[in-house]
Amino acid sequence: MNRSLLSLFCAVAACAQVPFERLVHPARESGNWLTFHGNLAGTRYSGLDQIKTINAANLDLKWIYQAQSLEKFEATPLVVDGVMYTVEPPNTVIAIDVRTGRPYWMYRHPVPDATYVCCGNINRGLAVLGDTLYLGTLDAQLVALDMSTGRKKWQTKVAEYTNGYAVALAPLAVKDKIVLGPAGGERGISGFIAAYDAKTGKELWKFHTIPQPGEPNFGTWEGDSWKTGGASAWITGSYDPELNLVYWGTGNPGPDWNPRQRLGANLYSDSVIALDADTGKLKWYYQFTPHDEWDFDSVQVPVLADLTWKGKPRKVVLWGNRNGFFYALDRTSGEFLLAKAFVKQDWATGIDEAGKPIKAAGMGPSAEGTDVYPGVQGGTNWYSPSFSLRTKLFYLTVWDDYHTKYHSWDQTYEAGKSFSGGTAYGGFPAIRRDPFITWDPSWGYGAVRALNPSNGEKVWEYKFRDVSDAGILTTAGDVLFSGNREGYFFALDARTGKELWKRYLGGGVAASPITYMVDGAQYVSIAAGHSLFTFGLRK
Amino acid sequence: MRLQSLFLLLPALGLLNAQDHGNGLTNPYKTPQDLAAGSKLFRAACAACHGLEGGGGSNGPSLTTGVFKHGGTDEALHRTISSGIPGTPMSAFPLKDQEVWQLVAHIQELNLRKGAMKASGDRVHGAQVFAESGCVKCHTADSPGGFLGPDLSRIGARRSLAQLESAVVDPNREVTPEYWSLRARTKSGQTVTGVRLNEDMDSFQIREPSGRLRSLWKSELASYEFVRTSPMPSFKHKLQGNDLQDLIAYLASLGGAQQ
Repeated sequence: MNRSLLSLFCAVAACAQVPFERLVHPARESGNWLTFHGNLAGTRYSGLDQIKTINAANLDLKWIYQAQSLEKFEATPLVVDGVMYTVEPPNTVIAIDVRTGRPYWMYRHPVPDATYVCCGNINRGLAVLGDTLYLGTLDAQLVALDMSTGRKKWQTKVAEYTNGYAVALAPLAVKDKIVLGPAGGERGISGFIAAYDAKTGKELWKFHTIPQPGEPNFGTWEGDSWKTGGASAWITGSYDPELNLVYWGTGNPGPDWNPRQRLGANLYSDSVIALDADTGKLKWYYQFTPHDEWDFDSVQVPVLADLTWKGKPRKVVLWGNRNGFFYALDRTSGEFLLAKAFVKQDWATGIDEAGKPIKAAGMGPSAEGTDVYPGVQGGTNWYSPSFSLRTKLFYLTVWDDYHTKYHSWDQTYEAGKSFSGGTAYGGFPAIRRDPFITWDPSWGYGAVRALNPSNGEKVWEYKFRDVSDAGILTTAGDVLFSGNREGYFFALDARTGKELWKRYLGGGVAASPITYMVDGAQYVSIAAGHSLFTFGLRK
Repeated sequence: MRLQSLFLLLPALGLLNAQDHGNGLTNPYKTPQDLAAGSKLFRAACAACHGLEGGGGSNGPSLTTGVFKHGGTDEALHRTISSGIPGTPMSAFPLKDQEVWQLVAHIQELNLRKGAMKASGDRVHGAQVFAESGCVKCHTADSPGGFLGPDLSRIGARRSLAQLESAVVDPNREVTPEYWSLRARTKSGQTVTGVRLNEDMDSFQIREPSGRLRSLWKSELASYEFVRTSPMPSFKHKLQGNDLQDLIAYLASLGGAQQ
């Protein structure tokens, strides 16, 4: 059946079924975009190759969807058999015709006034499984929607939002489960990663990202500090079907900038955690920044790659961490393989052979403030990196050569209230600001950077004047797509970093691009400002 | 919601003990304990944008000038904190009502400590000094003026008295990047200068001395540099008697405060 007939048939029979098998084999249907990362491995790499380095300059605008919300538009859409599903802030799900950009239906989740997410009332996307879409909400609910009608099937409480919990990430569908974790690391939550029955919403397992009494590794937090230690899990993890392991990054320990209130390694904050997908049991963990003092969340996307490592094939997980170091770990065992700084940093003098950072003296937050590289948004943050199956390079968005003054003070925990134990600020652009770029270029810069994952060395970089909160997409056409806060969306040669095409979209890009097929033609979509833009090749 | 229903709900909840004296609500939480709590809250919730001492930061104005664009009364400050200011980075802070009042108390204490509203000069005469000393040729204040220098029509809400005096007597002491100029040479040999209004990867947006708004592609420039000094002369020895303090008093009054 060709795509047109399939789409017509699906429109009549509402047959858009996405069994888990389809998620396991995304390469068989590159025309769709079925998960937050485009695949379960977290590579944000597409097998589509119509748009190539030689024709990317012919990209042209196809349609724009304008959101009704003026919050940041950070969601990655899904595309399933001719229909795009995305979320505009705060928690409004839309089904959009990929040919025209016109909506089919809209579901508005009622969000109470009292929710609070640190950095905007945003949502980053959906999961799909069977005929159901899954939405995490700012009031910490998991909502299942019929993908044909947008009607709610069921709703499950994930956590108590009045205590600072929220769900902003796109859930991950694994077999018959929906996996997610909460945000709230600045609110004294107690983090977890949990799996829910995709049919009923019943909780099936829950892994505490701060060990509870009686669990292994309990006791890495002094006194009762484990009760309010954060270790949130606010970006979507990855899944290896062969190993049946779910990989997930965890957030900072709290209070963020007062480590004196939580002596110890503070497991499993700032870690990657490998969990058995069926039981939620811990297979292994690796902590990037033990006893973090700077808010170095490790919620980056776990990128699963199969590489030749020192002459032998190895299953690895690649990680560009907010702390400024790039890591490679064996994803079967968690064995530390490599760490190398990818931006200017001075909080550590290096990483020892066991993979532990050697902290520099006197760099912790202080009452009068301590200047540290990288600054508070890290060397990178939550924006999706990419790994190209063709170039074998790892791509990430970096903030380089900038610093922040980290202040610390004692703070008493109060349920649901800010629990940061200090503050961090400096001259470099804040998360929310006006559209003028008039600061000193010496304060730092943003870039897309390509790294050789075997040694962490820079291969090329594409530098901005501003920084970027945009994720990265790579394709089989050897084209890399990304954007930045300046409002540009661009295509680069994934092998060289050469600019192929660029458009100013009038608003900062704080989302990650996707690509898919419409009527046999490859399209690329990205949210910028308060709108979603779609491009394809000029005919 | 937010403000309207907040105020509808609060009396019923017994949260609001503020008194209405006919001029709006007044802060019922001003004890030393409230001030200490407000100080703590300020560090956690406000300092990242407004600075630890409220003197202003990269993303928020000084709160120590005694002039508040959106109102400096107890009620107005309460409204700003609890409801935010749409279209600005100032978001609503979902704090308990008592906490908001404690913050209001702390912010007003910051002003008293910094000596805001204590400008000793005569602002009316200061306006005359402003006009007669040539400031108006380059600056707009409470009436339209030149555009070579920054618009000062709200400067009183953004700068302390000490900062204002420093800017008048020693304009080059601190020229922050948003006031830098651009001096560029095009590949065709033309020299272009102007106030740098904006910039991105590829272009500059400037205002030329003639007032013309102009954009420049970086790819068409042979060279460019930022002029990090101020073209403004020092008025250190140019003002007589009380003229300087009068001028400061005038500048401090600019801000459209709804006191």
